[in-house]
This record gives sequence, structure tokens and C-alpha cells, in this order.
Amino acid sequence: MTRHAILTSDEHRDLRVRVEPSAELGDAVMSAFTVPLEFRRIQHDFPILFRRDDHGDFSALALLGFETGENLFLVGDRWDAGYKPLSLSIQPFLVGRSADAGGSAQVHIDLDHPRIARNGEGMLLFEQAGQPTPYLERISAMLDELDVGYRASKAFFAALNRYDLLEPFALDVELRDGSKHRMVGYHLINEEKLREFEPGAVAELHSEGHLMPIFMALASLSNLGSLIERKNRRNGHV
Amino acid sequence: MGTAVERIVIAGGGTAGWMSACRLGAWASSTRRKLDITLVESPDIPTVGVGEGTWPTMRDTLAEIGIDEGEFLRSCDASFKQGSRFDGWRTGRGDDSYFHPFTPPPAVRDPRQLVAAWKSGGGSFAQAISAQQDVAQASLAPRQRSMPPYAGALNYAYHLDAGKFAELLRRHAVGLLGVTHISDTIVSVEAGPDNEIAAIHMRSGRRITGDLFIDCSGHSALLIKGHCGSEWIDRSAQLFNDRALAAQVPVEPGSAIASQTIATAHRAGWIWDIALPGRRGIGCVYSSKFIDDSEAEQILANYIAAALPAAGEVKPRRLAFPTGHRTRFWSGNCLAIGLSSGFIEPLESSAIVLVELSLRALIENFPSDRATMGLVADRFNDLFTTRWDRIVEFLKLHYVLSERSEPYWQAQRDPTTFPARLAGLLELWRQLPPSTYDLPLAEEIFPAASYQYVYYGMNGAAPADLPKPGAELIAQLQETAQRRRSLLAALPTNRAYFDAMAAEASRTLENQA
Repeated sequence: MTRHAILTSDEHRDLRVRVEPSAELGDAVMSAFTVPLEFRRIQHDFPILFRRDDHGDFSALALLGFETGENLFLVGDRWDAGYKPLSLSIQPFLVGRSADAGGSAQVHIDLDHPRIARNGEGMLLFEQAGQPTPYLERISAMLDELDVGYRASKAFFAALNRYDLLEPFALDVELRDGSKHRMVGYHLINEEKLREFEPGAVAELHSEGHLMPIFMALASLSNLGSLIERKNRRNGHV
Repeated sequence: MGTAVERIVIAGGGTAGWMSACRLGAWASSTRRKLDITLVESPDIPTVGVGEGTWPTMRDTLAEIGIDEGEFLRSCDASFKQGSRFDGWRTGRGDDSYFHPFTPPPAVRDPRQLVAAWKSGGGSFAQAISAQQDVAQASLAPRQRSMPPYAGALNYAYHLDAGKFAELLRRHAVGLLGVTHISDTIVSVEAGPDNEIAAIHMRSGRRITGDLFIDCSGHSALLIKGHCGSEWIDRSAQLFNDRALAAQVPVEPGSAIASQTIATAHRAGWIWDIALPGRRGIGCVYSSKFIDDSEAEQILANYIAAALPAAGEVKPRRLAFPTGHRTRFWSGNCLAIGLSSGFIEPLESSAIVLVELSLRALIENFPSDRATMGLVADRFNDLFTTRWDRIVEFLKLHYVLSERSEPYWQAQRDPTTFPARLAGLLELWRQLPPSTYDLPLAEEIFPAASYQYVYYGMNGAAPADLPKPGAELIAQLQETAQRRRSLLAALPTNRAYFDAMAAEASRTLENQA
């Protein structure tokens, strides 16, 4: 259930948002949406995978667990990584647009989100005089980054499509307790294909700024092993 | 004389007595020292129980005793104290207010830089150099509930219900620390060699022997005065308030809980206002030389009527108090802690912090045998004589710069009533700000920052030749300004904090049921 509203200092002067990591507050998710602009920060901790929606459009995600609702970076009420993906950090905010074409970005808020504080604890969004608080300033900057990143990602995926660089893959995970899990429905960048690229194609990807995120995504896959380790640890198998 | 010091007898069960029992008991159990602690408490003598403000040292004390912060807050109806606000002390006009926060200013080698930075910006001294004033004025808590116990975003202490506090300490001492509690009245003291105390005799006929006797018997000073004959040094020529009217007024649920002690000056003294979640402790301190009890009652009633119009008529408790302290706090094998050692108006909540400091000094210098006890006692007496001097000087500082015209205030700033050291410092501070050079002891009771907050809060003269503030300090102050904004956004109100804490406690109870 969601109830979106445009954030205004008049209507939301006393609203507070809970910012602590918590499963109850929406952090129990197995993946987080990300954009190529963020890959550099994502790839240090999380595997970056791709998924295709019903319209055939691709998007990128940071993998946090292997089952629905499983976030292996959420340890109790602690976020166990140096970085939290923007798409989780901005909750319960989202980018909205005014109705007119090319309308400017607005900060929207989901008033039914569990992060909306009910008991006076949490972060205030506005100072008494109506100025944004440092917290809301940070949120606005993150929303802006996600918005810019999202719009830039269209060209990125168009290029990947053009070179047919994304391939479906299934991940077979075998845990130390002997159980096997198969994850399907994801795409990866085809490393073989990339390796055989003509210099002209590489130059083109580079000039459009896509080469860096491609390599970041490839490098991020080395985190799959440590993610499986996290899963083993959570299952009590060290 | 080479016998071990193992049997501790504490006479009196108020805040001082039970804090002594807990600190010593926790220390003995954590260091596996053999210590046999007995606290005797007369069922006939009520405790004074007005000391309801603490210093930030209380967080360490409670942690050392082994009491959980949440349990402490809940069972003592406690709230957070981030400093003191002094209203009406300088001129008595409407805008006359300054703040003494617990968070120190940025550390700079030359305090003239702080003064320069403040003077170049404007606003009050405390506001210019610390984020705490605005946070406290907004009645915010100094911490979030998700923070580890006893940690805060800002330095803080507590306001508490002294009766409930003594009760919590008693449960802890008896239940967990193995302290023996005897409810009985002391009828006589049995002297040993060198007039030391060999035993105390109780009304029940019981005889209790000990190696060290801690006198927590309050104003009556049963042992330190009654047996040891340690004289009283009167300090009322310097600080001449000698009466108090203490009231407790319930507050509405949901009302704001002030995050500081508010001390409001009146024509012949001042009024304390200490906010707890369920009530406000409000009291009128005055000098009987300048007004009588009924005038003081009227002043208190006017204050309560303005602050809490729904309160109706309040019957205050009347207290008369001496101002001064013992010549010797530790005499033979008897150590006075709490009101038996001295008393002074509660202007900077020095009562409970002195208990804490006395216990720290006792524990950190604990004489293993009777042979060294005299040496430890001499050192203790020197240290605490200096501490009492400091307290008198620091409290007097609150009065001497006042511009109020009433006879009481004129008398307060009569130089013949100034402690000599303070008179010298006041001369010096016209050229050099209050600094650690004024306070050279390793164990000073109040930091230089406290003197700065009060001195500049009272509009004390600043040095004429101020240096240009350094780039480092300017950057620190900009950081402070940014931090102020962040804290104002991130900290809950005291009320929200304590309501959420109570809600969580009742959920936990339901889950257990």
C-alpha cells in the first residue's frame, strides 16, 4: 500500500522519518535497484546483475540475498557493509515530476511507508523556519543522483542491446549444508563477447561513457562468492 | 594497626548512603576485593531528597555500579539534563537569560580565540561555540534510543526523583551486590583506640563493628560531628541563601520536558525548576535576611502560576539549611559523604556530584590496611577542602556580575563577600579569559569551560586585545553550526523519547505475559 504526496515544508513540517536499518522498515529485500552511475560504489560490496521487465526493458540491481525477503547485509539492526544502495537509502522518498512536459523533478514521499515515524523519533525533514534539514538535503542529493542516473541508463542499456552484450544466466548456489539453490531470470554481461570486440566498438562504448560501468559490473561478480559465504554463515555453517 | 580494611559500615540510607553502598559493592565485586558492606538506616528519619540534578559524571557512576540506563530512567522517573539556564540573573529584564551547557567549547590552546570568534559573530557565548543551547532549548533529548547506553550526541546528565533513585540503588545493592541492610537506629558510638570508631550500638541492642565508617547521616552528622568532632566551616558570609521552599507539581501528559535546569533569579534569591516526565520540581531559594517565608512563598506561587497555570494551590516543603562544610571530612576511620560533609545551595547541583567524587577518591585511594588510612585521609581532606573552596567560588561567580538593584543583589556583589581567590580571578579575567591556568589541579571539579559559560553569560568583561580567530577554530565553529542543524533534525524531543521508551517497556511486558 502506498500513498504518495509531494513533499512540502508546510504540510510536512513536523514529519519524521526513521532511518535506522531494519527489516520491519523495508530493508528485508533480496536486491536493490541501481543505476550505472552508482556502479562504482556498488561493486565494492554487492554483485551487480541485470533483469528484463515485461516490456523488454533492462534494469540493474545489486544482489543482497538469494531468496525473496533475504538481505544478507542486514544483520539484526545493523547494515553490514560500508555502503547502502541509493534506492534503499532514499526510502520513503521518490522522485516525482510535475505534469508539464519535461517537468522539473520534485521530492515525493510515500506516507504509508513504514519509515514514516509515528512516535516522534526519527529525522525531521524541515527546520522550524521551513528550510530543509541536512538530512533532507542529503536525500534530495541522492534522489537527484538516482534521477540523473536513471535517465542516463537508457543510453547504457541501448548500447548493451546494440552489441547484444547481455545474456541470460542461471546461478547455481551450493551451500555448505549441501542444499542447492538455482536463481533464474537474471542477465549478465557476456565477458567472452566483450573480449572479442573490435577496437572501434570499444572506443565507441568508451566515448559514450559505458565502458567503465561495464567493467564495474563484471568486477562486481567477484562478490558472489562472499555473498554465498554470508549465506553459509547465516545458516550457521562457518 | 596493621589490620586490613574489610568491614565497611554506612550510617544512613539516603542518596549518599546507597550510592556509597553501590559504588563500593560494585568495585569490590569487579576487583574481587574482600569487602563486607553494611548499611544501617533508621526507619524514623526521613531522607531530605531534594537533590534532583546531576552532573554528567553520573553516567560513569551508574555504568560502574552496573545499572542499565533504561532501567535507571524508568525507575527514577528520570529525564535528561544538558545544562542549566539562568534567567534574570544579570538585569532581571525579559531577555535576560544565558545557558551553561555540559558540552565544552572546541579545544583551543588560547581561549582568547574563543572569545574573539564569539565577539566577531554575535549572539550569546554559549550559542556561538556549542550546539547544545539550541538543542536543549527545543526540549530535545541528547541521544536517540538506538544509541548504546550512556552514549549521547551531546554531553548530558539527568534530572531524577531522588526518593526513587535511592530505592533503585537499595534494590541493586541488596539484591545484586551483597550489601547488608539493617533497619535500626543508632543510639551510641563505641570508641576504640585514638578515638576511632570501634562499633555503633543500635536501638535493638545490636552492636555493629567496622574498619571504616561512612557517615551518610545527613545534616545531623552523627559520626563525623557527633563522635569525631570535626568542626563546621561556615561559608554563609559568602553565599548567604539559607532557606528553601520545595514543591512538586504534576504535569500534563504530552507536555514538553525541559532539557536543562532552569534557575530564575528573584529579588532575594532564585527559583529552581527541574522537569521530570511526570512532574516538575520547583523550589524557591532565598536569604532569610532579605525576605521572610511568606514573601518567598508568594514568589514561588507566582512562578508556578505563570509556568503551570493548571497547577492550582501547591503546598511547598520548608527547608532551612546551613552553608558550609567540615574542617575534616575524613577523621580517623570515619568518612563523611553527602550532607554530613557539607551543604551549599543547589545552584550547580553540586550535592550528588560531590558524593560521586568522594566515592571515586575513596575507591581509587582505598587504604588496604589501617596503617595507611591516616595518610589517605589527609590527602582526601586536602583535596575536598580545595573542592569546597572551588564550589563556593564558582557559585559566587553567578552573583558577582549582576546588575540587579535589589538590596540582596547589592549585598551579593559587595566585594567583602567575595572569596579572595575569586576576587583575584575577576581582576585577571578582564585581561585573560577563564582558562585551565586558573584551575591547575588534575582533579578540578568544574572545567574552565564552566567558568567561561557563566562569566560571559553574565556579560563579564572580555580582554581588550583579542587575537584574530585562527582558521582551524573558524572551521570548527562552522562544523558546530552544521552539527547544530543536524542534531535539531535528528534528535527526538524528551517527551517523544520517554513516551517511546514507556511504550516499548509495556510491549515487552505484554510479550512476556
